[in-house]
Amino acid sequence: MATASETTLVTTHNESGTKWWTRFLDPSERTLGVLLLMPAALLLTLIIVYPVCRLIWTSFQNLSLTSGVPATFAGLENYSLMLEDPVFWETTWNTVLITLITVPGALLVGLALALMANLPFNVKWPVRLSLLIPWALPLSFAGLIFAWFFHSEYGVVNDVLRRIGIEGVIWFNSANWAFAAICLTIIWKTSSFMALIILAGLQTIPRSLYEAADVDGAGRLRQFFEITLPLLKPAIVVALIFRTITALQTFDIPFTMTRGGPGTSTATLAMYIHQNTVDFLDLGYGSALAVVMFALSMGVTAVYLRMIRAKG
Amino acid sequence: MTLNKTMTLLLAGAAVTLSASVAMAQTNLRVFVSSQHRPDVWRKAFDMYEAKNTNVKVTIETGGNTSEQQAQYLNTVMTAKDSSLDIMILDVIRPAQYAAAGWTVPFNDVLGGDAASAMKRYLPAYAEANTVDGKVVALPAFADAMFLYYRKDLLEKHGIQPPQTWDELAAAAKKVTEAEKDPNLQGLSFQGKAIEGAVCTFLLPYWSMGKQLVSDGKLSFDKETAVKSLKLWKDFVDQGVAKKNIAEVATDDTRKEFQAGNVLFAVNWSYAWGQFQGAESAVKDKVGVVKLPAVQGGQPASCLGGWEWGVSAYSNNKTEAQKFVQYLSSPEVSEFMAINAALLPQFPEVYTDADVTKAVPWFANAKPVVETAKARPVTPRYNEVSEIIRTTVNGVLAGQSTPEEGATQMEGRLRRVLR
Repeated sequence: MATASETTLVTTHNESGTKWWTRFLDPSERTLGVLLLMPAALLLTLIIVYPVCRLIWTSFQNLSLTSGVPATFAGLENYSLMLEDPVFWETTWNTVLITLITVPGALLVGLALALMANLPFNVKWPVRLSLLIPWALPLSFAGLIFAWFFHSEYGVVNDVLRRIGIEGVIWFNSANWAFAAICLTIIWKTSSFMALIILAGLQTIPRSLYEAADVDGAGRLRQFFEITLPLLKPAIVVALIFRTITALQTFDIPFTMTRGGPGTSTATLAMYIHQNTVDFLDLGYGSALAVVMFALSMGVTAVYLRMIRAKG
Repeated sequence: MTLNKTMTLLLAGAAVTLSASVAMAQTNLRVFVSSQHRPDVWRKAFDMYEAKNTNVKVTIETGGNTSEQQAQYLNTVMTAKDSSLDIMILDVIRPAQYAAAGWTVPFNDVLGGDAASAMKRYLPAYAEANTVDGKVVALPAFADAMFLYYRKDLLEKHGIQPPQTWDELAAAAKKVTEAEKDPNLQGLSFQGKAIEGAVCTFLLPYWSMGKQLVSDGKLSFDKETAVKSLKLWKDFVDQGVAKKNIAEVATDDTRKEFQAGNVLFAVNWSYAWGQFQGAESAVKDKVGVVKLPAVQGGQPASCLGGWEWGVSAYSNNKTEAQKFVQYLSSPEVSEFMAINAALLPQFPEVYTDADVTKAVPWFANAKPVVETAKARPVTPRYNEVSEIIRTTVNGVLAGQSTPEEGATQMEGRLRRVLR
């Protein structure tokens, strides 16, 4: 529907003898900017905005493929079901706990690895390669490999323990040990990513600062806390944001190592979403769970961004 | 009409006819077969069909090595309305769910006027499992049930008869393992991992005590019986009859450990028999198989297994696919699979067929077990029921919760699903 102003616009253009589209041939900077952003914006709408809106809409519906009835509007029913669902609370708690343990864990290990890789070795590639390998390995492969490592009878962990005279545990038979095994695996898998980002940060720190510190008589430890750490802060925050968000979405490693067992004691929220949608085909409830996880990730990102802005 | 034009028309006509006949000559059917059920032997059955129906070409797809993994894959294909699969083999617990989701095509039209009487030729349990509200939603591929496998050589050596009750089994296992002094020898292996098999683990003693989980579509959970059932298995672990890490053991682990000669008694499906008699088996010709023991004072009970052929609602070749499934679910193929893959027949008369009894003599004793095996609850929400039971069994066997706590959790969660 053409509004009055548009009609006038077209008319004026026609009067001056030019067509409305001619301005795209010689665009102003602003028009050019909009035009160039268009493809990306359209693509993002298609693959991110639309699915997210659709997800939120589905979360307000009673939509279960096993019920044999068409979807009906359910209001907040899925969300109130969630509050009474003990497995939702357990999996959410497990997710938070995994995040709280593995993010700082990976940061510490990653920092140590980065510092080691930054030492002035003559041959740098073996160190860098060994840093890259855990990062390049797909998550589910890492999960399957470590599931064998921790297997109570055939695993290498218990075998080594036995050789040094310690009776190993049946890792996946106990909620705590299974949880510990999963956290160790995640830290192993993700600390190299942390190390890579921190290593990049380390290399931007000018040598001259350390030389000046040497002249002033500052020791190694003092140099680390007064120069290295403060200048690394931006790199560390970036690494933390990425790591925290992926930690909240932890799926592959517990899924391949324990399938959430024993019982549901090592299941994460992402696994519970997968179970409700793919196994139980309850798309309404699964979507509501996914909305909660989405909100959780958004909330954490907002906190980090605020931290950066406050410091920046 | 010029000659040129006529020629063109003729050629076009010929091209249309030709392409039509090419289309007729080539119906490609893609069939999903569970990898644990001898896809190599199914391939031979498919070849026999292709030889007689030259216009059909069948490709096999396999994947996953447990029922849940296969279901996860098929669920993904079906929710995506993917037309690439025409036929899929489904665990007996799934046809009802797939029919409710509208993923399979009913067979009523191709079975002729009275579908119910057409289904009568199958064992009754399979006619029932594949019929939902009068619609035949899948056709039986083969039957299955759980059995007790035992080491014939070891029982004979110690002068013990195959056990009739679980208590007798525990006593026999203790006697043999103590006398053998082999640290690798386990008394009993069963499924404690949180997989589909663990649902049967729970139900075997539960059923044996005469209780049902679902009656008339309503939950009829008997908590006291559930506690006893969980306790029976947990006691096996605590008494050393079963190994400590039984919560890590899946169906095929039981099979492998028994096959390696490390297990005295094993609870497993019929597929294990063929593997025990294989060339790499350490227990070839040393294996006996009988019906599962009963709880003291109860009836022996087995879990009904078996797999069914369903035709995808998104297939582009539904008619050809249904025709092919009718062939696959025929007594001839059943007999072929019994002889060559040791898959239990879904037809009562095939059990007593002379060629079958010659190839797999124990099938004669298997028939009464299959006939009396009990079906897991038939409900579209079976996956949720299964998940609740198997994670509880796994948690109790791992010592995460007591049998009492497990039964309470199970009841609370089942009530929410089966209202």
